[in-house]
Amino acid sequence: MVLPGDFNLKAVRQISELLGDRKELKVDLEKSRFVNSKAVIFLHNLMIAEPAVVVKLKNPPKVFYELISTLGLHKEWDLDHIIEP
Amino acid sequence: MEAHIYIEARLGILGSVTDFTYKWCVNMGLDQTDAARMALAVDEILTDILLYAFRDETGYVEIWYQYTFSEIEIIIQEMGEPFDPGRHPYSAEKAIHENDFEGACLEVVRKMTDHFLFLNRGKDGKEFRLVKRFASLDIRDHFAAPLEEQDFDVEPESDENYLLTPVTSEDAEDIAKLIYRSYSYSYPKEELYFPNLIDMAIRHEYKFGTIVRTVSGGPAGYFAVVKSTDSMIGEVGHAVVSPPHRKRGLMKRMMNKLIEMSRQRGLLGLFGEALTIHTFSQKVNEKFGFKSTALVIATSPKRTFKGMETELSDIMSVVIDFLPLTKRWRKPIILPETYANLLSEIYSQFEHVPKVTAGKEKSDSEPIKTNLDLNISYEKNSVLIIVRDVGSTFEASCKRLLRSIEELEMTSVYIDLPLNESRTNSAIQWLKEREFILAGLMPLFHKETDYFRMQRIRAEVDFDIIQTYTEIAGKLKETIKNEYNAIQKKGSTA
Repeated sequence: MVLPGDFNLKAVRQISELLGDRKELKVDLEKSRFVNSKAVIFLHNLMIAEPAVVVKLKNPPKVFYELISTLGLHKEWDLDHIIEP
Repeated sequence: MEAHIYIEARLGILGSVTDFTYKWCVNMGLDQTDAARMALAVDEILTDILLYAFRDETGYVEIWYQYTFSEIEIIIQEMGEPFDPGRHPYSAEKAIHENDFEGACLEVVRKMTDHFLFLNRGKDGKEFRLVKRFASLDIRDHFAAPLEEQDFDVEPESDENYLLTPVTSEDAEDIAKLIYRSYSYSYPKEELYFPNLIDMAIRHEYKFGTIVRTVSGGPAGYFAVVKSTDSMIGEVGHAVVSPPHRKRGLMKRMMNKLIEMSRQRGLLGLFGEALTIHTFSQKVNEKFGFKSTALVIATSPKRTFKGMETELSDIMSVVIDFLPLTKRWRKPIILPETYANLLSEIYSQFEHVPKVTAGKEKSDSEPIKTNLDLNISYEKNSVLIIVRDVGSTFEASCKRLLRSIEELEMTSVYIDLPLNESRTNSAIQWLKEREFILAGLMPLFHKETDYFRMQRIRAEVDFDIIQTYTEIAGKLKETIKNEYNAIQKKGSTA
């Protein structure tokens, strides 16, 4: 899906409703200026769930990488696989 | 432009607020990445407020967007459930191993801003302050070597050959160069070394002024008024004349032009903050009809003024000189008992004075609720509390606010009290018991109302280096010195 705005709590709730029991989530962040910590926690929980949901992100904004680093997740997340070219 | 919004804390409105924040930051001059960082910081705080501060209840949040030449500040206030961020530190270890992300929000806010402050004002609510400084080209980086004579415009012009024109944003780089060439690194207003910040301030009409050029177009002088965002007055400041063009009456011509431009713009008055390390600025102000009204003690890093052979000390106090541009002082005042004589003397310097009314404590028309605004200057390590309304809750509210800023360890705390409210009298007494001393009259300083300033200084003040020029400034200095010494004496015997 292409997110129409920032990846915030409202977007988390909407995606959560739409996700159901799907096994993969692809989000294009081309129109997002930022991803907030609630969204990162949401994605983190999806990736560590049993069974895990495969998360793919496209076009994340620069601030996203700063956020991941701030929360100490840059080494934990496999960004090479999460970020789509 | 400054902005203030009042919103209901609900999820649906979050996107609109962060949109506004982003656009406001870009308009004020932040680049898009910094604007996104500020929008994220605001989103983080608002999200936590609506999740935890109000939970299922309806709550409201106020947000102020403030601009200065060097930074922007966003202040978020709410009155929800009490909360202490110090008790919720973020731990990446806990997040990874225990899936516990407590404290993530404020960790992100700290990272996205240049300065973050949380103030717990007790019953008056909680306040989150987010500051972002402008990243800008510094004109000093353009000059690798120290300045030489040839860096200046060499030959002064004959007097009639100087051209005075109103400043436009296109003059920004010339102004920065002029400051650098005249003062090297010693000019006290840091923002004038950044062409981009000057450009932005002129574009947004936060300042207006005049620039003097030679026939060849080279800048020779600059003088500007910085408009107050809180009242219809302006500060004359940012004055410079390039050394080869000094003593040719340029400052006088520029000042006359500034007064004329200020009248045209409907300003009610102009004030100057004249440094007391010398009396030069005070003399200039007096010559143009400004009258001394206050002496504000401030601190600043040591610096040497180019061409003045004087090293500024830690104490860099200023005399407030005021020039009314209106014959009608709109609001009547009530003279507080303790300083009635001194204030009468200050007012008597002016041709027209406000009507003095007899104050009656606890007047029916006066507010019950106290309204305090807080301005923090991180650069000057000082805070200014503006008392908008002196309600019956003044002492409790002020006590809570002073307690909330205690840990900031600010050197100077100033408090401005409105002179049109009768409770100001008892507020002054209460503040004096808390080591506040006189500063003086701040004419028309907030919402076109006269204010009385008090100050609390947590630094050693050497009054011998404070030079005053006018008689009133001398009287202010003597009173302040006596009050300061009395507090020091009390402290040493306690």
